[in-house]
Amino acid sequence: MKILIVEDEPKTGEYLSQGLSEAGFAIELVQNGDDGLHRALQYEYDLVILDVMLPGLNGWQVLQSIRKHGLQVPVLFLTARDQVEDRVSGLEMGADDYLVKPFSFAELLARVRTILRRGRGGIEAKTLNVADLELDLLRRRATRSGRRIDLTAKEFGLLELLMRRQGEVLPRSLIASQVWDMNFDSDTNVVEVAMRRLRSKVDDAFAPKLIHTVRGMGYVLEEKNT
Amino acid sequence: MVVLLAMGYLIVASVDHHFDEQDRVAVQGKLELIQNILAMDGPSNQESFALKLKDSLVGHHELVVMVAAGDTVIFRTEHAGFLARYLQDPVNYSVREYVNLHSWQDDGHKYRGIAVILPESPGTKTRFTVAIAIDAQQHITFMDMFKLQLMLVGLVGLVLMGCLGWIVTRRGLMPVSNMARVAEGITAQRIDDRLRLDSLPKELHSLAISFNDMLDRLEGSFHRLSDYASDIAHELRTPVNTLMTQTQVSLSLSRTPDQYREILYSNLEEYERLARIISDMLFLAKADNGLMIPSRQQVKVHNEVGALFEFYDALAAEKNVRLQISGAAELQADPLMIRRALSNLLSNAIRHSQVGSAIEVNIASESGEVRINIANEGDTLTPSQLERVFDRFYRADASRSRGDDGAGLGLGLAITRSIIEAHHGRISAASAHGRTCFFVVIPINA
Ligand SMILES: Nc1ncnc2c1ncn2[C@@H]1O[C@H](COP(=O)(O)OP(=O)(O)O)[C@@H](O)[C@H]1O
Repeated sequence: MKILIVEDEPKTGEYLSQGLSEAGFAIELVQNGDDGLHRALQYEYDLVILDVMLPGLNGWQVLQSIRKHGLQVPVLFLTARDQVEDRVSGLEMGADDYLVKPFSFAELLARVRTILRRGRGGIEAKTLNVADLELDLLRRRATRSGRRIDLTAKEFGLLELLMRRQGEVLPRSLIASQVWDMNFDSDTNVVEVAMRRLRSKVDDAFAPKLIHTVRGMGYVLEEKNT
Repeated sequence: MVVLLAMGYLIVASVDHHFDEQDRVAVQGKLELIQNILAMDGPSNQESFALKLKDSLVGHHELVVMVAAGDTVIFRTEHAGFLARYLQDPVNYSVREYVNLHSWQDDGHKYRGIAVILPESPGTKTRFTVAIAIDAQQHITFMDMFKLQLMLVGLVGLVLMGCLGWIVTRRGLMPVSNMARVAEGITAQRIDDRLRLDSLPKELHSLAISFNDMLDRLEGSFHRLSDYASDIAHELRTPVNTLMTQTQVSLSLSRTPDQYREILYSNLEEYERLARIISDMLFLAKADNGLMIPSRQQVKVHNEVGALFEFYDALAAEKNVRLQISGAAELQADPLMIRRALSNLLSNAIRHSQVGSAIEVNIASESGEVRINIANEGDTLTPSQLERVFDRFYRADASRSRGDDGAGLGLGLAITRSIIEAHHGRISAASAHGRTCFFVVIPINA
């Protein structure tokens, strides 16, 4: 997976590329709009991460040119201005998502993965499995080691999200937004409590533990081979 | 000025007219006299005519008279030369009744008078020509003097009036210039200066009152703004200070990787707090600047509350707090914002609830408004606390302000209020006997 980052702020650009490389992506970083456009047109990328405020061509202009050339590459905007117009004009011009600075890296990573997953439809699975945990999506049932686990509807949704994206660290804000549709800075403490309760049901009586807290980042469901 | 000129003109004209009239009467009288004498004596007796005429003119030095019978002059007073010259040309006069006095100039004197041909009396065949003039020099001199005086008086009056006007306007506008001075003196440091009503005339009171009211409003906004700025600075100072100290202390010795990780985690928490402050402040700033424009969609309030109940379900269960809802209502609003506003209220209610109690959300719509009441049992807020709960950065329980039970930045209720106000609604709170209730009212079609 190749990602082009167009970001003029050196530190931000550097850490973004480091973080995304370490997450397993191939990264190219350029520092201005003209270079960004040039590269986007020249090479093939799976995603372009575009800062709005750029020297030379700004983010909007780069996006417009990219779309004018008929390229459908997904674009994720980074904007420092928390303005409605930014959101509107960005999404109207064909951006796929946007993040307002300051954002957390975990959030960015999760969004990047969401965008990249789009369009790769695949066959809709009927069950999800991680280790001995199984989720029956049709009957909305969870079992572990063959034993039924009682979950509320939202707990099931939470577990489904974790299992669909197993191995990915999901930040609390993303979880709140995906499971409860709370698309604002909500009380993230709530997610913590909900996660604790889910864990007690899924992990307490079993081994190995599947749900892990990644401090400062969020939660991940995976079978850790230790 | 114009009035003065017009008045002057009128005075001169009327005095002039008066003299004119006087002259006319005098001249007419003499003409009648001459006619009488002529009628009595007949044209034949020129001697006696001249004598009688002369008699009648005694004491009238200003009169110049000349009488001619046919072409022969039968009587003339002194200085009548100009009349003789005038009468030599018959074009100058006629039989007609004179209308206007005629003017002559002779030997530096001005005369006014008439020259007429008397209608021929049946008995005589002689045509008498009479010219009577009055020396108008006196009058003219008087008029000139009069005009001069009038002009002088006018001029002085004008100057006086100008001065007076200036003084009066100055004095009249004194309060206004005082106001201007007060206005000039008002700066950020002296924003509490006000106009004193007792030093102003009545006419300016309403102006001064609006002026003071404007200052009151400005002062309020200004204080809020500067409080706000110092609050922000204060709120940012604490986490930045923590970060700096922690980082410096950490760097002063070599530590194990685990210790470094610990430090970074702890830093991350501060950063998240900072980021949260920034985005909340941006949200509020946008609302302050009227940039927060809610979208309008049909929102089922009970559904929103239901979704929030699901979100807070775990938290409430943990605290053994029951969430109860009653009633239903719909309105035109921005669903995301409404959800956010209610979320803050619910989160507060849960956080401040007594273990084992219930939170009641009541929804109703009446007379075009939706009412949402959120009540919880817990600590009672004092009136002074209630007054301030919607203020930015205000936390009633200061000690718990930085606890890790999700207790916030003191911005939650401020955000809630700005959202509700953006929907043209209002929010208030009441607290008594361990029960706190927040009342939200939003117009259905704002
Ligand atoms: N339901 C409630 N019961 C008691 N106190 C409350 C309640 N809701 C709010 N408060 C008080 O009002 C203060 C301001 O609330 P808020 O603006 O939401 O800030 P915070 O983020 O600290 O909760 C809180 O610190 C709390 O002390």
